[in-house]
Amino acid sequence: MSDSITFQTLAQILQNEHRVDPARIRPETALADLGLDSLALMEFVFSAEDALRLRLPEDQLDPRAAGITLGELCEAIERFAAGQRETEEAAPGRAAHA
Amino acid sequence: MSLVRAAGGGREPILVTGVGFVTPLGGTAAGLDAALATGRCALAARPLEIEGLGASLVPVAACADFDDEAAPRGPSGVLPDRGTAMALHAARQAFADAGLAPGAADPHRVGVYWGCGMGGAASFDQATQALYGEGRRLRPTTVLTTMPNAAVAELSMAFQARGASISYACACASSAVAVGEAMRAIRGGWIDLALVGGHEALLTPGVMAGWQAMRVLAPVSGGGAQGACRPFAADRAGFALGEGAAALVIESAAHARRRRAPARVALAGYGTSCDAQHISQPASEGQVRAMRLALADAGLAAADIGHVNSHGTATAAGDAAEAASLCEVFGAHGVPVSATKSLHGHLMGAGGAVELVCALRALERQCLPPAAGVAEPDPAFGIDLVCGSTARRVPGLRHVLSNSFAFGGTNAVLVASRLD
Repeated sequence: MSDSITFQTLAQILQNEHRVDPARIRPETALADLGLDSLALMEFVFSAEDALRLRLPEDQLDPRAAGITLGELCEAIERFAAGQRETEEAAPGRAAHA
Repeated sequence: MSLVRAAGGGREPILVTGVGFVTPLGGTAAGLDAALATGRCALAARPLEIEGLGASLVPVAACADFDDEAAPRGPSGVLPDRGTAMALHAARQAFADAGLAPGAADPHRVGVYWGCGMGGAASFDQATQALYGEGRRLRPTTVLTTMPNAAVAELSMAFQARGASISYACACASSAVAVGEAMRAIRGGWIDLALVGGHEALLTPGVMAGWQAMRVLAPVSGGGAQGACRPFAADRAGFALGEGAAALVIESAAHARRRRAPARVALAGYGTSCDAQHISQPASEGQVRAMRLALADAGLAAADIGHVNSHGTATAAGDAAEAASLCEVFGAHGVPVSATKSLHGHLMGAGGAVELVCALRALERQCLPPAAGVAEPDPAFGIDLVCGSTARRVPGLRHVLSNSFAFGGTNAVLVASRLD
């Protein structure tokens, strides 16, 4: 998990933009335990969506409300991205735009 | 005269115990002094290309060495506007210079009085460019980083100023008003110490195009912009857009004494007035009133002032009005006048604070900066302008005055004095 591109991207954003201690950036760390307030969490998700070129629908996953871990967030992102790729193949030219 | 009686005359001087700045002429006292002593001009011609408008060149004075992306963020953790990053940098310097660690003063007796002209306009320009031009959504923090009090909010958190946190927006007089209003708050007993100053960073295409449309910017060619801003010259043709920030820690004499803070200069007087006549055309009457109020507030006569750092925008109407005002208050050729916008550009909301810092450097060094690019002032103006490329030595200089006159008619004048 911690080797995946998705996780590495999230880790980089947390370190560079939010100065989160790298020791805290582990798959089992809950988002609530990253030391980010609600505003910073919104910024984090925003940056992650931009970096990974996707948008997480809030009705399916609202990381602000969920007590999910970084690992679970990565899985949700990858699941969503896979679903998006399938849609894209079925109807090309409608990629989500950051 | 009635103005003097109204102001009471000679109020308590407020000590300047710390100074910090980011300017197109550098960010250290030594660098700024060297630039002011030799009339180094930081103006440059910057290409402006906007689809549909064609290409042009805009005169700017940028802080080339200031890297806002590398600068530490403020306490909010939010990626700041460039101007806010400059404000934080200048304020940290000022607090360090004042020997004042965060929390060293009673937070409830500390205030931030800060000026900016257009707030986060440049950030908003970039955000909307991305929104409309590229279909990119706005960041969740867009409002928080572009509101005019974005910098003040960061500053009050950073330095635990809980007594007041006020952002003044009166165009080119913003930071001069901020300084003056803080003086009043200290004298009135509301606070003991204030972080004062202002910032502005507007060098994005949309904002530059806005200023260009006003036709107040000096024409520049591919050859550059050295000497393009020529205040009070007969061939003056406008100013350059500057960016930067200046911060001062000021405090009551009693508070400075209690914490044994050394100070060499004091803010002696503040005068503000409004023309209430025209949104962009200045009126001499209001300027004269503001200068006389500042003198009365300092308990000084016009003859006591040894140097004026003028507003000096190099616009046709602006300089004519100010020259008439200077002659009215000081008499023809009555006081040596500098016009430092010729060197560091027009810093808009930060201008008053940056030009006050220049006046304080002049006071400290007994040396008046020249208006580079000006061979001589328009003889019709009757003012003693320091011009050419060398500074003028003025041994014994004790009191200086700095003018800030804004779009909207707000006039703000500050008087500073040596304490020795």
